[in-house]
Amino acid sequence: MADSTTDFLQDYQALARNAWDAWARQLQQAGTVAPTQASAAPSAAEATLERTLDGVRGYMNWLQGMMANTMAPGSDWQRQLPQWFGGVNGPFAQAFAGIDSAGAQGFVEQWQAWMQAAQQSGVAPAQGHTGPVPAFGLDREQQMQQQELAQALLTTAQATGRYQALLQRAAADGLQRLQGKLAQHTGPGQQIDSLKGLYDLWVDAAEEAYAEIALTEKFRAAYGDMVNAQMHVRQLQQKHIEAFCQQLGMPTRSEVSSLGQRVQALRRDLRTTAGAADGSLSDRVDALARELDAPKQQRARQRPAPASRTTTRRAAAGTGTAAKRTRATATAAKPPVRRKPAAGKRTGASVSVAARGAAKPRRGVAAARPARRPSGKRK
Amino acid sequence: MYPPVQIDPSKALAEMATFQRKLAAGMSHLRGMHEPEFANTPRELVYSEDKLKVWHFTGSSASAAKTPILIVYALVNTVWMTDLQEDRSMVRNLLEQGEDVYLIDWGYPDGADRWLTLDDYINGYLDHCVDAVRARHGAGAINLLGICQGGTFSLCYTALHPDKVKNLITMVTPVDFHTPDNMLSSWCRDMDVDLFVDTMGNIPAGLMNYVYLTLKPVRLNQQKYIGMVDILDKPVELENFLRMERWIFDSPDQAGEAFREFIKDFYQANKLIKGTLAIGGEPVDLGMITQPVLNIFAEQDHLVPPDAARALGTHVGTTDYTQLAFKGGHIGIYVSSRAQREVPPAIHRWLRTRS
Repeated sequence: MADSTTDFLQDYQALARNAWDAWARQLQQAGTVAPTQASAAPSAAEATLERTLDGVRGYMNWLQGMMANTMAPGSDWQRQLPQWFGGVNGPFAQAFAGIDSAGAQGFVEQWQAWMQAAQQSGVAPAQGHTGPVPAFGLDREQQMQQQELAQALLTTAQATGRYQALLQRAAADGLQRLQGKLAQHTGPGQQIDSLKGLYDLWVDAAEEAYAEIALTEKFRAAYGDMVNAQMHVRQLQQKHIEAFCQQLGMPTRSEVSSLGQRVQALRRDLRTTAGAADGSLSDRVDALARELDAPKQQRARQRPAPASRTTTRRAAAGTGTAAKRTRATATAAKPPVRRKPAAGKRTGASVSVAARGAAKPRRGVAAARPARRPSGKRK
Repeated sequence: MYPPVQIDPSKALAEMATFQRKLAAGMSHLRGMHEPEFANTPRELVYSEDKLKVWHFTGSSASAAKTPILIVYALVNTVWMTDLQEDRSMVRNLLEQGEDVYLIDWGYPDGADRWLTLDDYINGYLDHCVDAVRARHGAGAINLLGICQGGTFSLCYTALHPDKVKNLITMVTPVDFHTPDNMLSSWCRDMDVDLFVDTMGNIPAGLMNYVYLTLKPVRLNQQKYIGMVDILDKPVELENFLRMERWIFDSPDQAGEAFREFIKDFYQANKLIKGTLAIGGEPVDLGMITQPVLNIFAEQDHLVPPDAARALGTHVGTTDYTQLAFKGGHIGIYVSSRAQREVPPAIHRWLRTRS
């Protein structure tokens, strides 16, 4: 029995490897350009694939590891728990490894690459770094900037370390919780009898432990410190690049950003001004309409009862318009007036628009032609 | 007392082999699969400005509703969660109930939108969209249906422009941002948001998705994809899964300034319920909302905890307040079969008595 099981496992592992490779190749062919001979580094698409499938591969590795463990005779489940779920190849580690790379592509990855480059170029703090050294001479400013960057990198490394320590604590707590959950399965007929069942129970335990830690003040502080430290480094990095661009006479991010800010401020002013003008114009039109309507309504009131059908229709139309206007005004008046109405701006515009019974979009484009069943893809 | 784990070796081997077989066979099922489309309920473009569009959904028959509904979605993720697929489409379901449905698609902000503020979104874009719909219907006021962050925007808008909103519906809308179970809020409380936005400019969608994944790291980063292996040989389920993946990761970047204000004023300072919020220099007072309000939230929502949404009831000024607790999560409230049965009909019933 033992031999046949071993054979099966070997066959299975070979099959798993082949199937996995085939799967990866298939997906690469479907969605990527094959890497050239010259490029030793994996392509971006390959890296994406790797990240996407990391979780599944981690699970497969775990299944294999579990097979060896569960088959061990006389196994003590409480002692085996850390073996089942701990370690660098455990599913928890895999899950977080995936997050560090997949989810934060363009953020953590870029960050890590930059950290590496900084260390190689000597900007990053060396081990035993003891703080800033007074700078002097022609390149004093550059020295100061480099020191600031080195200090920021050190701070980031420390902050990231504190964050990761909390993640490790969550992993350990997850195992303890799992132990507690498993203890509830010791009654007859309550045993976990599948690897997937065990895995799912562990996921529940791990997520509970993580959630508890992730909501603590300590985690909040560590998270904030890490993000702030990373942003500080990034900002210094941007400063360096900007200075470099300025020397080359290239427009910088700050300049473009500043222009964008001014344009948006102008647009905002325009909107406010247009709103105020619109409201003011509407108020004047309404006032004129009331002036024009007043004598007509007075005459209508003084006129004897309608004798002809035409007159009736006119009167009815007049009444209808008046009634409609009254209703619309009532609608507009029904909601409470804002505690601090904008002086003749938005409030004025909206009330007068409502009083006319219909709104009018002030900007943008009201489409004339309906789109024919457009697709949901808009990029 | 028995050992809690009793996995029969032969059964375990079979389990592994099955998993492996499904994974290997998955190749042939994935091969040739196209990007899944969303439901694409027929719609017409009725208004556009910069990158935003207002869509009017056209049902098979003319709507009997007296007052149209304008759906205001969040800036994060795309609006197609409301029209995901034919049998999981909130807008289609609302149309079938007889409602006249409009939807704001905010679009994908880029560098040109870096300086858009909440004032620009709420008193600018949203106000223009509301006016466009009012103009089409000759209506003084319309119904607003705000979803998630869009619900928060709708609350601000209604408080600032009460005459333009007849009925307000909020779905999974955060109101109290400091409930103890709000992980997102906790994480960003100690962040230097000014430094963050000054450095990042617009906030990349990938970074936002990364943060959402870390709310439930193992479940969302690993367990979900292990579950996917089980459905690799089920084309319909696989297509649904891939469609959801498309929706989750095809997200817009966040305009930097609006993000800065939202995090500082809502997540960090919780100004909406403290009554200290101002948008475009105007105070936003939830007590000024006296329209009928229907507040729908999800009981298992990990993004907007139920208490964060429930808080509306104690801060809104209306005497006509209805609360609806949905048994499900933040996404399930649009796409689960239970949601299809319960949510749009509930919205329709509530509106019918207030038309």
